[in-house]
Amino acid sequence: MSAKQKQFISQNGIWGVLIVLVVLVTILTGGKFIKIANIETLFTNESIKGIMAFGVMFAILSKGIDLNPGSMAALVAVIGASMCTMNETTASIIKNGGKPMPAIVAIVICLAIGCISGGIFGSIIAYTKMPAFIATLGAQLMCRAASKIITTAPVSNLSDGFRFLGKAKLGPIPMIVVVFIIMYIVSAILLTQTRWGKAVFAVGGNDQAARVAGINVEKTLILVYVWCSFCAALGGVLLAGRTGSADPSTYGLNYELDAIAAATVGGTSHTGGVCRITGVLAGILILGVVNNGLVMLGVNDNYTNIIKGLIIIVSVALDMRKNTKKV
Amino acid sequence: MKKRNKLVALALASAMAATMFAGCGSEEKKEEPTATSSAAAETAGDQYEITFILSLRDEFLSALEKGAQDNCPDNVKLTTQDAQNDAAKQQQMIESARNAENDAIIINLVDPASAASMLESAGDVPVVFVNRYPTDDSILDPEKCVYVGSDEMTSGKFQGEFLCDYFNEKGQKDITYVMIQGTLGQTSTTNRTASAIQALKDGGLNATLKGAELAGEYDRATAIEVFSPLISTGEVDFDCVISNNDAMALGVIEAMEQKGIDPSETPIVGIDATADGRQAIKDGKLAMSVFQDPNGQGKGAILAAVNMIEGKALNEGSSFEIAAENPAIVWVPFEPVTPDNVADYDNR
Repeated sequence: MSAKQKQFISQNGIWGVLIVLVVLVTILTGGKFIKIANIETLFTNESIKGIMAFGVMFAILSKGIDLNPGSMAALVAVIGASMCTMNETTASIIKNGGKPMPAIVAIVICLAIGCISGGIFGSIIAYTKMPAFIATLGAQLMCRAASKIITTAPVSNLSDGFRFLGKAKLGPIPMIVVVFIIMYIVSAILLTQTRWGKAVFAVGGNDQAARVAGINVEKTLILVYVWCSFCAALGGVLLAGRTGSADPSTYGLNYELDAIAAATVGGTSHTGGVCRITGVLAGILILGVVNNGLVMLGVNDNYTNIIKGLIIIVSVALDMRKNTKKV
Repeated sequence: MKKRNKLVALALASAMAATMFAGCGSEEKKEEPTATSSAAAETAGDQYEITFILSLRDEFLSALEKGAQDNCPDNVKLTTQDAQNDAAKQQQMIESARNAENDAIIINLVDPASAASMLESAGDVPVVFVNRYPTDDSILDPEKCVYVGSDEMTSGKFQGEFLCDYFNEKGQKDITYVMIQGTLGQTSTTNRTASAIQALKDGGLNATLKGAELAGEYDRATAIEVFSPLISTGEVDFDCVISNNDAMALGVIEAMEQKGIDPSETPIVGIDATADGRQAIKDGKLAMSVFQDPNGQGKGAILAAVNMIEGKALNEGSSFEIAAENPAIVWVPFEPVTPDNVADYDNR
């Protein structure tokens, strides 16, 4: 086997794992799993965490991490929902008197909140050299608390306009999946076709060398967290849109862990500088197949989590082996 | 250059902190009236200090907290604290309240199994457990340690009884049900599930579980995720859905509607009768829910605390009943909410 073939297999082996899983679950469910309708369900369910994974992927690539996406999504969901509810929101400090704000305005505000907070935390990480783990842990606590300050009760009965992205369908395809696909394409372009994407690879690989090569490390890092929080905020808008409600205490809880898991299973290396977006997509789908397939098979939820844990550990163990060999 | 960058970061950080405080400011304003009213009470005479420690400030417990505050007698200074779902933090708060020589402590247990050690931390201060029933109820004592709450075993029972009536009317004996559970391992989850299944059996139905029991974490979004694979082909091959709370039942309804399935054709039952849940009952989407009275539990708890200090009957000042089997328990009843009586719950 030539070196090229070997490289192809090591980079795309994850798709092999996905195919094996799909075949296995399809056989066990008697073909029910592979029906178009179920594939649609699977993609719809994984879209939000998948979009977060496209953001977290950049953070991990830059040798950082973002623990904030889940709480950021909750904060944005609560703010967006408070602006677009058709109820009198007595429980919320954002009062709209039952007149929903135009959805597009609300969504833009939501996404802007994501970008601005990402910029703030990104600046802190970039300029103080604080570990991203700590900075985003702080961000996580603050965003969750802020959403609970904004409202004590779930905000529901949202306007159809605000729910468009989360609920509507474009022909046969749910809008939420369309957004997911668009985000995949945008992330792929950002990662491989832009100077910033290449700079993130360089910073993650070796920030000193990147600096010597003339890359503005701080700016690169700030943009990483802006993008990451943007993805999380979009996830929050979709979450509120999909469920038609926003609960400050339970929404987005632990979503960041699923997003990190998907990016990690997809071969994004926590030592920085290694990432393939096709791998991350496969990672998202592998976790999706496990989530969806095991419910269809009637497997107890606790075992589902054990299987997910095993997949994460095994995939990273293989990844470590692959990456140390290179050295 | 570097110095300037640091300054920028510092400025941003302080701006952020300022916004957070601005957020908190509005909260403090709300609490001000309570502070002044208790200050006025100090001059009025008897002054009791009571601390109420919540396990978590979620929607339901916030309402319970409000129930206690609204029904707090003038001669009592009530302080509430949030243990943020951390049993160790709760224990510290209890010890602080004891050291501050409080007259009573109201505890909403983070972990019902920890009741005995929490009671020990309270020392000689009388304790009222509210909403979460201590696993070891031998510690209950009408003069020192009492419980105010609703009997979790009856919440699921109302769901089961409703379904029995529904299917008996249709003449159907064999049914399959989907069970959406809350967080696995929590006492309320276990009791709600067990009591619902027991009631189905007691009602003479031959009920079988469809697939596995799903864990929806008491969350609407999670419920959609775990439930939607069951209906992904657009077919409903079960007879009813039992959910441990309304938020998850609403998730089930949402998932069905997104698949073009009419949720009113399959009975879906919840617990809590939240505002959204009641609306769904009015719309005919949710078959029924069970009302757990947070306001009543808050009221019952504060009254029980004061009555215990003053040596009166625990339920004095309310219509709640003292349990026949144990004089240290005050039951705040669960109530089934159906389309017939849902309007009665709008302002409770």
